[in-house]
Amino acid sequence: MKSSLWSGGLSALLVAFSAGCGGGALDTDVRDVNEFLAAHGAGRASGAPARPSVALPSEERWEEDPSEAPKILAKPLHAEAAVRLSLLMNRDLRASMYELGIARGRVVQAGLLPNPEIEVSLRAPQDPFQELQADIGIEYDISRVILMPLRKGAAEAELAAERVRVAGEVLDTAYRARVAFYEVQARQGVLDLRSRALAAFQAGFAAAEELHRVGNLPDVDLATQRAAVEAARIEVAEAENTLLDARERLNLAIGLSGEKTSWTAPDPLPPPEVDTIDAAGGEKKALAASLELAEIAGRMQAAGKRVGMHRAEGRLPHLSGGFHGENDGRAWEIGGHVTVGLPIFDRAQGRVISAQSELGALRERYVATATAVRANLRMAQNRVESAGRRARHYRDALLPAREKALAETLLQYNAMQVGVFQVLETQRRLTEAGIAYTETLLEYWKARAALDQVLAGRHRALGLAPPGVGSAGMGGGAESSAGH
Amino acid sequence: MDRRDFVKIGAAIGGALVASEALAQGAPEKNAGKRARRPGPFPGGQPAVVTPNGATLKLVEKDGVKIGHLVAMPVKHTFTPGLEAECWGYNGRVHGPTIEVVEGDRVRFYVTNRLPEPTTVHWHGVILPCGMDGVAGLTQKPIEPKDTHVYEFTFSKAGTFMYHPHYDEMTQMALGMVGMIVVHPKNPRGPRVDRDFALVTHEWAIRAGARRPDPNEMKDFNVLTFNAKAYPGTEPLVVGKGERVRIRLGNLSAMDHHPIHIHGLAFETTWTDGGEIPVTARHPDTTVLVPTGSVRVIEFVPTESGDWAMHCHMTHHIMNQMGHGFPVMVGANAAAIDKRVQALVPDYMTMGQAGMGGMDDMKMPVPKNSIPMRGGKGPFSTIDMGGMFTILKVRDDPDAEDGKGWYAHPKGTVADKADSTKMKADGIDPDVTF
Repeated sequence: MKSSLWSGGLSALLVAFSAGCGGGALDTDVRDVNEFLAAHGAGRASGAPARPSVALPSEERWEEDPSEAPKILAKPLHAEAAVRLSLLMNRDLRASMYELGIARGRVVQAGLLPNPEIEVSLRAPQDPFQELQADIGIEYDISRVILMPLRKGAAEAELAAERVRVAGEVLDTAYRARVAFYEVQARQGVLDLRSRALAAFQAGFAAAEELHRVGNLPDVDLATQRAAVEAARIEVAEAENTLLDARERLNLAIGLSGEKTSWTAPDPLPPPEVDTIDAAGGEKKALAASLELAEIAGRMQAAGKRVGMHRAEGRLPHLSGGFHGENDGRAWEIGGHVTVGLPIFDRAQGRVISAQSELGALRERYVATATAVRANLRMAQNRVESAGRRARHYRDALLPAREKALAETLLQYNAMQVGVFQVLETQRRLTEAGIAYTETLLEYWKARAALDQVLAGRHRALGLAPPGVGSAGMGGGAESSAGH
Repeated sequence: MDRRDFVKIGAAIGGALVASEALAQGAPEKNAGKRARRPGPFPGGQPAVVTPNGATLKLVEKDGVKIGHLVAMPVKHTFTPGLEAECWGYNGRVHGPTIEVVEGDRVRFYVTNRLPEPTTVHWHGVILPCGMDGVAGLTQKPIEPKDTHVYEFTFSKAGTFMYHPHYDEMTQMALGMVGMIVVHPKNPRGPRVDRDFALVTHEWAIRAGARRPDPNEMKDFNVLTFNAKAYPGTEPLVVGKGERVRIRLGNLSAMDHHPIHIHGLAFETTWTDGGEIPVTARHPDTTVLVPTGSVRVIEFVPTESGDWAMHCHMTHHIMNQMGHGFPVMVGANAAAIDKRVQALVPDYMTMGQAGMGGMDDMKMPVPKNSIPMRGGKGPFSTIDMGGMFTILKVRDDPDAEDGKGWYAHPKGTVADKADSTKMKADGIDPDVTF
């Protein structure tokens, strides 16, 4: 289901791009990429619900902002709307689409026949009795014609790899937007809860002020309450700044600026879903769907073709041929010639070595990437399971327990066993549990998005590394700060 | 001449003596001797001891030895309606039954241990063979769970004593294992009493909502009791006007002494657990300090009918489960606090800003199994005391009272709202400032 949605979106995107480029050949690329995505399944976590479509309208002009964007922005945002906006408006994604055109151009260029070369010369003999003599010749690079299919094959293989890379960019763009949106939801929730904690401290300070005013509370207790309020204010300010950062990350992921950044996202993070993780089948799906592996495979194919091409270049004597006409003033003499460059010294050994090394490097990169895909899949699965269990525990056990503790503390207050400050302290613990729940929910939804991403074919830049662990082996992704 | 002989001499002499006793107590002569004294079952006609909210141990006499059986065991005990706790006691009771014997009685007490740990019984204040003193390790082996030990000795001295374990005292006494011992004199001296009560004072740490006293507590005791009952669960002491009344007060609290105060009369301390106080050493009091680990016996003749308060004068000892974590709210403006707190905890309401009286009437929801600020119903309003508080009911006809009825005040004898006209006539300005 998801693969078709992704491929649909990608298809529309590429169609739109091709229209903008005016090349028309992108239609073929879109079709190929869609077929690739469909063939690889772009699998999903077992039991996970399908996401809404992210397809771009094909009639949009690529150089202009799509007309759909303002309509989406006029309403409160939700995760899928953010994803759709990112595919509509993200400029890096558009740049990638142009880069696909570069590769297409190389294919076209590789398939063009070489131009013939014509040589004309005039000679004025010193013998006054002789007529002006003219030579004319035409030269054609036969070697290039012979090697043209090899060059074109290599360029087409690069184009195919580039198509896969761009498809991956689409997935990455949508992933970044989704995760950034979750971050916004979480940061809004945390800010609300931090503000609630501040209100609790302020209530405690108000009580302390009143008790101090009537002589029941010493200065030290009042000062302590005041200090707690001021510390809580800083926490609220930090939460506000974190939210602003999160909003900007989403703006960046979508490609928004100016007035367009005044969107709202009122919904809190949804509760965790019940996930059934297919640990064994997941790796197979992820490897089959991996666009990174497909891209490397494509580039390996291109490199292989380049090895063959360079070997052929090295072994094939340089051939060029032509016709020659000479007019000695009385008549034309016509003949032909063939030039043969002997492959004695330069047999393209250097290019062959480079191409072979590139092929070898890609082969190793392929294996390394497959290892990284498996590791990232397992990491995502583990994180989904762990964060999901913890989030459900927060929701089903800890938060009710904290609420019960607050209710019981209130009864103890009614029984004059504890004071207003303990009541507020218990309320703050409930708030802190709410903050921890929100953070865990964020971890869960990010892990869910990461798991979907791996199964869709992308394992880079998932940001799953725990604190203090670099992103090595995970595709060198950015967003390391979003991993937990 | 012992008491029996004294009674046989005749009413005339007896009457004269009673009159003199009443004078000795400071009672108006008109009240003395109004009631016919009923001889009790003990030497000299002394009445049997009444243990309010308690019982007396059944003793069977065989071959000149009085035999009793104490079973140490867990007991579910109700301190007052609303507060029940898992305690330890004897014979299904908290506290244990009062042992009542006569000076010179030889006794044999079987003590069965149904506790999860060993125990002993120490006969506090009793002079007996060292091996019967009940101190684990020092004078005997502990009584292991399910075992029964036997103690046998002679009560050689009259007086009021107590019993309690001397194994893991902190836990076992904190959970309720104490009891009173009354040894009537074989040849009583002095005036015979008409009513004889035994009250053991005790203190407990039971957190509001908990169901077991905390033996580890050293200072924060929140349930204070007479005979293991907190007011309003305490049975009143019903006595007759002009009767001579004896109250035996024992204190087996963990940490606190109790200044026991009785309203409407003065009394003399006549005995301690060390023996009888010479008449010449006695003096009138309205409050007697009962140190922990001690007995004080007081006697008095009430001359004023009514319902009189009898309580420990430590004010926290007449509160039920008052907490110590509550800040002083007196004088605070509740509105300044409630607005902010209720935004976070809607059911919160500031309390105590005008003092804590009347809390019982607020009927705030409180933790299960707790009696904070619980008082009793009085004839005029809620009695906002609890804990170590009971009522001495002095009546013209005490035998007709069941202790539940309130005293009917003669007209004009109850303090009431002052009449402004009368105030002015008396030169009292209600709006006077200082």
